[in-house]
Amino acid sequence: MKKSKNTSRWICGLVAATGAAGLLPTAATAEVSDADFNALKAMVQQLGEQVQSLRQTNALVEQTHLQDQQELQALQSKLAETQQTATDANQKATAAAQAEAQPVPRAPLDEATVNRNFQILGDAEFQYVNADHQNGAFALADFAPIFLYRGGDNILFEAGFDTTIANNASGGGYSTTFNLSFAQLDYVMSDYLTLCAGELLLPLGTYSERGAGWLNKFPDDPLAVDALIPGSGVGAELRGAMPLGDSGKLLNYAVYGVNGPSSADGTGNAGALDLGGNVGVTSGGTSANLHGNPSGGGRLAVFLPFKPRYDLELGVSGMFGDWDNAGNHLWTAGVVDAALHLGPNFEAKGEYILTRYGSDDLGIHQQQGWFVQAGYKLAGLDLDLPLLNNLEVVGRYDKVAFAYDPVNNVFDFNTQRYTVGYIYYFTSALLFEGDYEFTHSNDPSQTDTQLILQISYGF
Amino acid sequence: MNPFLKIDVRRAAGFALLAATLLCGGLTTSLCSAGPDTNAAPAAASSPAASPATRHQLTGAELYSIHCNRCHPERYPTERTAAQWKTIMLHMQVRANIPGQQARLILQYLQENSGR
Repeated sequence: MKKSKNTSRWICGLVAATGAAGLLPTAATAEVSDADFNALKAMVQQLGEQVQSLRQTNALVEQTHLQDQQELQALQSKLAETQQTATDANQKATAAAQAEAQPVPRAPLDEATVNRNFQILGDAEFQYVNADHQNGAFALADFAPIFLYRGGDNILFEAGFDTTIANNASGGGYSTTFNLSFAQLDYVMSDYLTLCAGELLLPLGTYSERGAGWLNKFPDDPLAVDALIPGSGVGAELRGAMPLGDSGKLLNYAVYGVNGPSSADGTGNAGALDLGGNVGVTSGGTSANLHGNPSGGGRLAVFLPFKPRYDLELGVSGMFGDWDNAGNHLWTAGVVDAALHLGPNFEAKGEYILTRYGSDDLGIHQQQGWFVQAGYKLAGLDLDLPLLNNLEVVGRYDKVAFAYDPVNNVFDFNTQRYTVGYIYYFTSALLFEGDYEFTHSNDPSQTDTQLILQISYGF
Repeated sequence: MNPFLKIDVRRAAGFALLAATLLCGGLTTSLCSAGPDTNAAPAAASSPAASPATRHQLTGAELYSIHCNRCHPERYPTERTAAQWKTIMLHMQVRANIPGQQARLILQYLQENSGR
């Protein structure tokens, strides 16, 4: 029974399958032809190829897009760097502009760069002289530099030279003289004391220290200063100043020891007195002083300023020492000096000089002389005239008298001189000076009158 | 001339010079111990408590006018550099007998107004 049921199932299944198989092919054959099928198949293949192509294209586009994004990021990074650089440059430019606009601070200074310094100061003069009964001539060209070397805060070496040309009247041509005016080492020991050593300008009065060409208001020296006292000496000096109160008043002091005056020929005769020739070593190479007794001296003064540019200075100074080789005769000098300033336009000053010395042949000699000079700048008149505002009128009276002039071999020598003149200031340091001198003397070799024109420059 | 008198004069003069030197040196030594350091900077040196000399009311510009006018027309501070003024002021301190304290105030004024 069971076997018959299985057989009938197989028959029914076969019939159904045959029917289904016969129905379906019959329906398809009826609607799509082979041509259409092939066309459709070709189209499907074409679409597949297009899809494949699109996929490849899309991959390329995506790759390109990825590259573009990378390039964009790189560009953005570069842009950021450029913007940062521009910002930095702008900030630097702003800082530089601000730094340039602000003044460079001058203090405090780097001591390492300024603690040693070499400096040249000085003056130069050019002079024309027309003396009575003589031909006018360009008489002088003078260059007088001062070399300064500062070795630290309190050590200074200073040396002044005087280079001058002079006409050789007898031998023809001209000669050049080169003199050492001073050469000294200064050591500032304290606020109130300085040690100086070398060839010193002597504080015998004030003229020798303040008589440089552009400082002096006249083109030549006072007679007494030239004739009676030495301007310099070789030795050592202590000098300084002490404040007197709080208003600027000062007590000035100086003491020194130098070789001092000597004898030109070794004798004690009056005519042999040599004020400036004793420097310790003879020109023949002898390493010995001309005599064994040095000279000493000093100056004491008060400086009294009332206010800026208004002041009075009074000083006394002296010097003494043996002058002859045997040491038998003393040479002494005393000087009283005074200077007054009343504002920037008026100055007056003067000195009185008295010297004495003993001699073998003529006993005790006494010499004396003095000068007083004044200057007034016309700018003080407020005339509003440029030429006059640059002009200063000056006047001087000076005199020297002594029993015997060893240079000119004249007894009872007496000379007085009146000088009037002007100074035209091109600048505060470039001066054009003109002076006319009237001289009265019992020495016939003295010139009665002379005109001196001088251009001075202080640098 | 009496030789004994000459010797006495020499001795007296020598003693006077020696006494003046010792007096000056002693005075300076005592002042040095109480005085300001000469190496101090101008600004520091102008401290009111530095020394009696610093109590004055004068400025560097006023002191410049006071001292320079004694010998010559005043020069413009711009004519020299700060380093040059330092050397020139040391020269002038010695030549014109200017106390160190005043010299530092003048130098400070000149350097602050100097030409670079």
